[in-house]
Amino acid sequence: MQEFMIFIKTKGDHLEGLSPEQQQAHVQKIGEYIGGLMESGKLKGAQPLEMDGAIIQGNKGVFKDGPFNESKEVIVGYFHIVAENLEEAVQIAKANPMFHDAEGAIEVRPIKQMDGIN
Amino acid sequence: MTVDKKNISDQIDHLFRYEYGKLVSVLTKTFGTSNIELAEDVVQEAMLEALHKWTYNGVPDNPVGWIYKVAKYKAVNILNREKYKRAYASEVAHHLQSEWTLEPTLRHIFTDKEIADDQLRMIFTCCHPSVSTDSQVSLTLKTLCGFSIPEIAKAFLTTEENINKRLVRARKTIKAADIPFEVPTGNELEQRLSSVLETIYLLFNEGYNATSGTNLIRYELCEEAIRLAEIIASNPNVKSSNTYALLALMTLNTARFNSRMDEFDNLLDLEHQDRSQWDKELIKKGLYYLDFATEQNEVSMYHILATISAHHCTALTYESTDWEGILALYDLLIKIDKSPIVLLNRAVVLSKTSTPQKALEQLQKIKGNPAFYSYLPYYTTKAALHFQNNEVKIAIELLNAALELPVEKKRKNLIDRKIKEYSKNN
Repeated sequence: MQEFMIFIKTKGDHLEGLSPEQQQAHVQKIGEYIGGLMESGKLKGAQPLEMDGAIIQGNKGVFKDGPFNESKEVIVGYFHIVAENLEEAVQIAKANPMFHDAEGAIEVRPIKQMDGIN
Repeated sequence: MTVDKKNISDQIDHLFRYEYGKLVSVLTKTFGTSNIELAEDVVQEAMLEALHKWTYNGVPDNPVGWIYKVAKYKAVNILNREKYKRAYASEVAHHLQSEWTLEPTLRHIFTDKEIADDQLRMIFTCCHPSVSTDSQVSLTLKTLCGFSIPEIAKAFLTTEENINKRLVRARKTIKAADIPFEVPTGNELEQRLSSVLETIYLLFNEGYNATSGTNLIRYELCEEAIRLAEIIASNPNVKSSNTYALLALMTLNTARFNSRMDEFDNLLDLEHQDRSQWDKELIKKGLYYLDFATEQNEVSMYHILATISAHHCTALTYESTDWEGILALYDLLIKIDKSPIVLLNRAVVLSKTSTPQKALEQLQKIKGNPAFYSYLPYYTTKAALHFQNNEVKIAIELLNAALELPVEKKRKNLIDRKIKEYSKNN
């Protein structure tokens, strides 16, 4: 078993085009998806993130604020999961109904394993 | 209005007994075992809120659902409000703090199966060997059975302050020892289960034999002990032959609970009980449990005691009791538990299968055992044997000595009656 971070990225409010009924159905589908992950013991944690925040550019101790551009793709949430391998983690990410009705990107990244201390 | 109010508080009382322990168990999992008191507080508050709302607006259609909903919201709000104040050592707490996982988590932890499992985990947590036996019983009654501190104090003939101390100590121990909220597995399970069963049996005996408390409270203790054992028995990973044997023992004894008292609230011994008053449904249930218990070839103290109890329950009259069968069981019991009390009980049976003289000879062997100094049944049993052996004077002397013991009034009355009965035959 290996741990993965799955980052959810969208441009702006990805549910903008959906009617309230569609949004409700969408939220319910996601609830079922997350519930299923929890039942199978694969979910370590999942949280949504606010759309705004700050981006800081740093270079050798010199920091510059921004630019924070909401029209660009931003991370709106993460899933912390366990899976057998990258392939399964990708399967899990694709099963997320978040982008079955809308557009967005998902980044699946294995958490680097520490080799241990000798 | 007063009738309505009474009705509502009765309904809440009922709910309290049945749902309190379940909710506290689920919330203990949520907050972690170091926050048991927080779990109790949340449930208590939800119940109070129900009492308040329902008194004015009437009882809702689904009162259980209502209480659960209120308790859920309170729990989630506390987790969010006190996110950084406490350490919640549970994965559940983590999931309840996220908008994405909140709803699925609530749905999951409030399924019937999870609730039942949590109650079982709670039993093992309360009866953890690092907690003293006294505290185990108090904590179990408080958290799993919804007993109030005054009720527990009444049941154990001690002060509320004392019970409170035991509870505080128990929670502290659990926190300090970082006891996990789980049912042990493998080799540990057997050992831990046997200590859980001991606590349940102790709880039962408090109810069954206690010389204190009202009859009602004591009967409830017995019922709760049975209910806890049933929770254990219904879990396929934990149920064992011993659990069923204990269940059989407690159920068969409970069947005779009310017949042990006459209309004036005087205690009656087995010989004088009205057998038609014995609860036939419970006897049937007890025998059914005993069947389960004997399926595997295990023999514990509970198996033997339950079988003895079954002999009594199925004898049509005192005289037609299968004393030979019971004596054989006592001989078996002695091999496991050679306590003076078992030997005393065996002597009674021996007086039936042979003579009172023989029984007295056996008792002579355990005479002077400190366990008997203030043990009332030793005096009354020995007195009865002497009386049957036509030694009325010795019998009455023993009973007079028994009256000097610190004994509850009901028992004193029973002794007084015996003295009168014996004196008539003098």
